Amino acid sequence: MFFKTQIKSVPLVLRTVLAANSALMLTLVLVRQGSAQTQPNIVQAHLTLATPIVHPGSLVRASVTADIATGYHINDHHPSLDYLIPTDLKFTPIDGFAVGSIAYPKGKVEKLAFSDTGLSVYEGRIEISAQLKVAPRTPPGEYTLRGKLEYQACNDHACFPPTSAPLVAKVKVVSRKASLLPARFAVLGTDATMR
Amino acid sequence: MSKQNKIILVLIVVAVVIGGLYLANRYWIAPVTAARPQASSGKYPAAPDFSVTDIFGQKLSLADYRGKVVLLDFWATWCGPCRVEIPGFIQLQREYGPQGFQVIGISMDDDVQPVREFYKQFGMNYRVAMGGDTKISELYGGIIGLPTTFLIGRDGRIYDKVPGAVDTERFATEIKTLLAASPGQAAKNFQPAGASGNIEVETPAEANSPVPGVDVSKLSKVELQRYKDQLSKQNCDCGCKFNVLQCRTNDPSCGVSRELAKSQLEKFQKANSRI
Repeated sequence: MFFKTQIKSVPLVLRTVLAANSALMLTLVLVRQGSAQTQPNIVQAHLTLATPIVHPGSLVRASVTADIATGYHINDHHPSLDYLIPTDLKFTPIDGFAVGSIAYPKGKVEKLAFSDTGLSVYEGRIEISAQLKVAPRTPPGEYTLRGKLEYQACNDHACFPPTSAPLVAKVKVVSRKASLLPARFAVLGTDATMR
Repeated sequence: MSKQNKIILVLIVVAVVIGGLYLANRYWIAPVTAARPQASSGKYPAAPDFSVTDIFGQKLSLADYRGKVVLLDFWATWCGPCRVEIPGFIQLQREYGPQGFQVIGISMDDDVQPVREFYKQFGMNYRVAMGGDTKISELYGGIIGLPTTFLIGRDGRIYDKVPGAVDTERFATEIKTLLAASPGQAAKNFQPAGASGNIEVETPAEANSPVPGVDVSKLSKVELQRYKDQLSKQNCDCGCKFNVLQCRTNDPSCGVSRELAKSQLEKFQKANSRI
């Protein structure tokens, strides 16, 4: 109601001009973006920790959520054909932390235009779970965990060079005497399976 | 509202739209969509020459095939759609090679060994070179997706660019038209047999530039640094979150940062010439 009242108080001419300009700007943005020739941003990935505060000697459960743009796919961690480049999660080594197990989701078998047989691929949203071990003598403090999700994406007609999505998350190590705050992050999804 | 007021309103809206379109095209759209200057007049740009070593150690130069129709295929062994096309290219080479046609494959693999194995396994009958460490992909406008295929006529001009895998029969139609021309002559009545990509090429000075895609050879060292500083202060509009210089370096195939950098170079050189 308030918005309608405010709109009515603006002269008709000005309203019309503003509306025309908005439509014009939207059209121009679409034209310019359409003209740009650049590699599409196919995968967006995020690293989440089950708890951001841990004790030395404990396990940190991590989850990588990757959103794959509609119309594209990336290869299963265990690709169907030996020449396909697998999706791979890698962590940058950091003193005090070690990577335990990594569990990749099961891919979806798709019959693609360029293959006689179905290929196991990832599409849409996937979650990869990992366990990170905090060394018993890791000094208390804030640490930045870094990694990357390596992938190679295709659609039905073309493929893009292998690339990676950067991952980063912060974790705080507190002494064993200090209590941990309640976990603020969601528990890992139950559809992740060990391969 | 009276009829006169309605007419005035319409005229104002039209004037705003036209004015907005003019200004936006002049300062925003045109730098992105402007065609590259061509080596000489004509609709089709000259195919940039390159000289490399093929996967068996032999020298391969595009200039050696002047007067022939050349199909230049950017591909990789890890690319499923690319692998599907290659038997079709082998057939085209077999059928049209005696008439002056040549396929050249440019592999974007990191290592040559899988390419050599693939070459033998598939019985490839045309030349293949590695493109990863060379500037060939940048010379040809930055290759984003694979496969990307160019058709070059007997006059050394690029007549078609096809992004993505297609039925290779499409190329047969185009090859026949290009072969009908005499060596060194332009093709007549060439029509793409399907959807085509925008053909953009770079000069060697642009491909080898410290600012990829922009010819800065006329700038002194001091001027180059000032120019690069200016690019570092301008954000790229392609959505990469980099400044223009970073985007040029990280993604030389980005058409947005390329045009922004070229536009900035023009302004920089004009400002310098007034000093």
